Amino acid sequence: MQPAERRSDKNKTKSEPWRDLNAEAYVRIENITKRFGDFTAVNNVSLKIYKGEIFCLLGGSGCGKSTLLRMMAGFEEPTSGAIYLDGQDMAGIPPYQRPVNMMFQSYALFPHMTVEKNIAFGLEQEKGLSRADIATRVTDILEIVKLTGFAVRKPHQLSGGQRQRVALARSLVKRPKLLLLDEPLGALDKKLREATQFELINIQETLGVTFIVVTHDQEEAMTLASRIGVMNRGEIVQIGTPTEIYEFPMTKFVADFIGSVNMFEGRLVEDLPDRARIQSDELGGVVYIDHGISSAPGAVVWAAVRPEKINILRAPPADTRENCVKGVVKEIAYMGDVSIYLVKIETGKTVRVTLPNVERLSDDERIQWDETVWLSWHASSPVVVTQ
Amino acid sequence: MTYGAARIGSRATPGRLGPLWTFLFRYGPPRWTEYVLRNWAGQRLVIALPYLWLLIFFVVPFLIVLKISFAEFSPLGRPPYEPVFRWLDEGALQIKLLIGSYQYLFNEPLYVSSWGYSLMVAAVSTLMCLCLGYPMAYAIARSTPTYRNVFLMLVILPFWTSFLLRVYAWIGLLKTDGVINNVLLALGIVHEPITMMYTSFAVYIGIVYSYLPFMILPLYSNLEKHDLTLLEAASDLGAGPVRAFMRVTMPLSFPGIVAGSLLVFIPAVGEYVIPSLLGRTDQLMIAKLLSDEFFLNRDWPKASAVAIAMLLLLVVPIMIFQHFQNKELQAARK
Repeated sequence: MQPAERRSDKNKTKSEPWRDLNAEAYVRIENITKRFGDFTAVNNVSLKIYKGEIFCLLGGSGCGKSTLLRMMAGFEEPTSGAIYLDGQDMAGIPPYQRPVNMMFQSYALFPHMTVEKNIAFGLEQEKGLSRADIATRVTDILEIVKLTGFAVRKPHQLSGGQRQRVALARSLVKRPKLLLLDEPLGALDKKLREATQFELINIQETLGVTFIVVTHDQEEAMTLASRIGVMNRGEIVQIGTPTEIYEFPMTKFVADFIGSVNMFEGRLVEDLPDRARIQSDELGGVVYIDHGISSAPGAVVWAAVRPEKINILRAPPADTRENCVKGVVKEIAYMGDVSIYLVKIETGKTVRVTLPNVERLSDDERIQWDETVWLSWHASSPVVVTQ
Repeated sequence: MTYGAARIGSRATPGRLGPLWTFLFRYGPPRWTEYVLRNWAGQRLVIALPYLWLLIFFVVPFLIVLKISFAEFSPLGRPPYEPVFRWLDEGALQIKLLIGSYQYLFNEPLYVSSWGYSLMVAAVSTLMCLCLGYPMAYAIARSTPTYRNVFLMLVILPFWTSFLLRVYAWIGLLKTDGVINNVLLALGIVHEPITMMYTSFAVYIGIVYSYLPFMILPLYSNLEKHDLTLLEAASDLGAGPVRAFMRVTMPLSFPGIVAGSLLVFIPAVGEYVIPSLLGRTDQLMIAKLLSDEFFLNRDWPKASAVAIAMLLLLVVPIMIFQHFQNKELQAARK
């Protein structure tokens, strides 16, 4: 395993219970399988989620992430396997008796009730709560989600972002042990989504609830998650912190699904503890890597290089140990903060490179279409995946 | 309406509509054509047609009936009656409204009891339709699409047979030596036949049977639109199936309940055929009374007064109905 990197300054103080072998998992999913007729939606998934985590299930549509979430909420019964919440087996317990709440993708707000009534609904189902208690808790949660003036509005009188916050408040007001969020930000526009992501993290930290978030949006997963579980065809293909997932993908699928990547197929010709070489016909040369792969010599592997880790040079690099390939710029896309270059190398493969637009350049200084360039990247940049 | 005018203008290009039109279009008057095209054409004309229909075939006859209801009973038993409006020789307009028929309507015990009985029968039948129809509509709305169409077909199927025939068929089932009694006797459940014909029970059976589809269809169309994730949300928030139904499904289906109830209640109040064929002979319903007044007593003013009173009695529920329908439409638009 590669060494793990810390996410950001903010989370440095945060513990990482998944590294501790003795830590008690809060949600334990054991060999869960769900079949609908012939179709296997979730295939033998095992997961451990710890208290206070924001765990993201990330995957494309139809990968089984929502089914997994619905099984945790109790809307679907697993075909086989078990779910334990805080040590308690959840099998056969209906959704209305689980200490779990869910925020629905469509928000599922009751259209005939005001914001206040929507939020109070869950509390009214609990025994031993007086009207006054309910009222205070509703007021408190409205304050947390910043909707204080909106208590008597109906859902159709609210904007998308406000509805999203009502849905969040409604699922949080019951103080669940575990909150399941199904594409929580899917219906919001980009700016609002970014703002809400940070708000969600703040609320989660304030209340100390464990979040499990389902999303197809890798950016959303990267911002929110303490750990990400990438799913494909009903299986979890990799679990790790956002950094691990992005920097050290274990399979071609993960490398390709999270962000964009240039993949060079090749054969392992040298594999030593401190360096390795891959002979790649796709690249038309050798990929140098500054760490060992510990795989069979001659095995077919893929070297994955992220577009932002490649540099564009106008002359061949002096250092011959650098990975380097010659090509012609075919497309340039100016995105504002970065520019994307599609460079056709001599073997005919197109390589994607992103460079930040640090300086304002004049047209002469800027790299132009059909210019011959050299692409280079450091030996630490490629990630080698074997499947 | 500039929008309409622009459209009409572009369509009415000269040449396509013949030389006369070309002439008129190019050289102006008569100006009223332009006015008609601008203001009446399109949308307004479409709306105007049903209104015109209602005016000729509903409002005018209604006014005639209203006028007759204020007239004096003539022993001949048919019009013409004394006119309501009359110019006197002194140049004064005489308006003569005899409210005797209406007074009779609300004082005569026979009428009062008929009113009461009609309303009671209608209300009880509506309630029974609701109790039977709601579960059926719910089941249809929640069934798989293939079955759903079959079930809906089955609900509508009775309409393919004559209404009168179906009510007559109930006589064969309910009468003393009818199918039901024979089966019960043969099974030994009863030892002597039960009297079912010519009772209120038979009327309820007839009305509920005949009007059940009118309850099921609006309820179905409401329930079918429900977002099932709302029920999941309710369940997730701790509400069991019964509570979820009471707090979510039921309130959301309220417009459907109102629509279905009014569609049953309104015709049930004025039901004529079913009580005449199956019902009690000692207790009339108001529609039967109206027809007797008209055909047997030949008392047109009283019959008209009954008709007007019945109409007013039903207009109020219809207006409530429309109010709820508008509300539902508005909610659906949002």
